[in-house]
Amino acid sequence: MTIKDADIQKLSEDLYSWALRKVPEDTKVALAAARDRETTDTARRTLNMMLTSANRAENDNQFVCSDSGVPVYFVKIGTKADWNANIKSAIRAGFDHLVETIQPPLLKHVTNPLTNERSYSGRHMPIITYDLVEDADYIEIICSPKALGSGRWAAMELFTFPTLETIETYILDVAIKAGAQHCPPVVMGVGIGGTFDYCTKLAKEQTLREIGSINPDPQVAAMEERLCEAVNALGYGPMGTGGATTVLGVHVDYAAGHGFTPVAVAFNCWINRRTRARIYSDGHVERLE
Amino acid sequence: MSAIRKIELPMSRQTAESLELGDMVTLTGPVKMTAGMPTHQRILDFIDAGKKMPMDLSQSAFFHLGSYSRDTGNGIEILYMNPTTSTRFNHMMPRIIRHFGLRCVGGKGGLDSACAAALKDVGGVYLSFLGGGAPLHSESIRRIEQVAWTDLVSHYRLVAMDVAELGPLTVAIDAHGQSLYDNLDASVRQRREQIIEQLNLARARRD
Repeated sequence: MTIKDADIQKLSEDLYSWALRKVPEDTKVALAAARDRETTDTARRTLNMMLTSANRAENDNQFVCSDSGVPVYFVKIGTKADWNANIKSAIRAGFDHLVETIQPPLLKHVTNPLTNERSYSGRHMPIITYDLVEDADYIEIICSPKALGSGRWAAMELFTFPTLETIETYILDVAIKAGAQHCPPVVMGVGIGGTFDYCTKLAKEQTLREIGSINPDPQVAAMEERLCEAVNALGYGPMGTGGATTVLGVHVDYAAGHGFTPVAVAFNCWINRRTRARIYSDGHVERLE
Repeated sequence: MSAIRKIELPMSRQTAESLELGDMVTLTGPVKMTAGMPTHQRILDFIDAGKKMPMDLSQSAFFHLGSYSRDTGNGIEILYMNPTTSTRFNHMMPRIIRHFGLRCVGGKGGLDSACAAALKDVGGVYLSFLGGGAPLHSESIRRIEQVAWTDLVSHYRLVAMDVAELGPLTVAIDAHGQSLYDNLDASVRQRREQIIEQLNLARARRD
């Protein structure tokens, strides 16, 4: 068997549809834990409504949010996978077919940045990032549709030989700027170092990490923990109307670079859209989330 | 837990003035909605030109909600609706609030202090919706009364509808100029240095 266009097309379409209706399990667990920690009626009720909305969307096959975002995919190609497919075209065909057939239909969110005209397609859309996975015999595809509510608060800055204090203060200030706006509690992804482009990629990838996962590097794990505490101390709370839970997790990764050090921060709103599956060389599909 | 207050629309100024920050309410009755920047611009253009709006917004509940609407041939239906970020309209809302004497506005993320001042002038409140609440909000729709400006994409259109127990919604700006958002921002400004100090201490403990 060989992985073909049709396999990629079908899976990329399914991943998008799932992402719109299903809040990941780790996220629901984190929201429930947050609800039990909150002390005000407003915060507890808001978190409870989030869980109810998530369950209703899943059970009734509805969208959690009306902003279905723009299509964003991460493709990880196993170097031992047997494939013969035009992956880019297949993903685009998958999204086009989704637009034609999905129920309920999507709103038009793909925007031409030069005219602000909205439609279902556009230049360089879907947005796809490719990577290789050594020795794997599968192609993994992650779909994380990106909407305006949390997408617009991502930020990056370049420093020269910054101290950790400078880096962490910047990350906190990005969280302060986003404030009540990004449908908290959010997941924060942080990239430190590398180059301009690589750093933002790291930050984005960190938003896709499982909530509660611990960074294997103890220095980074400690940074994640203290940043999580610091952001929650801001008090914006669920939906930004006050409370102890503004962030469900701060996930950090870093790359070596030159002495100019980019720091990038990206957010996923509470619904934390993220689906992931693998197509193996023998054709079977494994849905991971 | 404090009770969730059930409010019938149209809301009286007296009712609006009785609401306190953090109260949760549900709304039953007529509301208007749009999620479009071009829609807000067109409303301002109509105000400037003294043109008659396609629907009356006076003293109404006007929300930043995006919706998917379609004509079934047997009337218009809304398949789903959900809030959008209100602060995007900060610069346009004070005039709209004052011109129509809006009793309730809402969406997610709040409005700024200029909008809070406008709401105080007319005796109106800002209500925070759950973002990602499409399944909950959509089921409150009883009837679509009117969809105007259909030349715009679906979520930008101006929609008048009748809802039953929409919410719960959180009172985030009251009719007296008080704002949860302003309060939180002020609190963060006051405590930022202290939070950074705690970060530094936590880092030092590890080192």
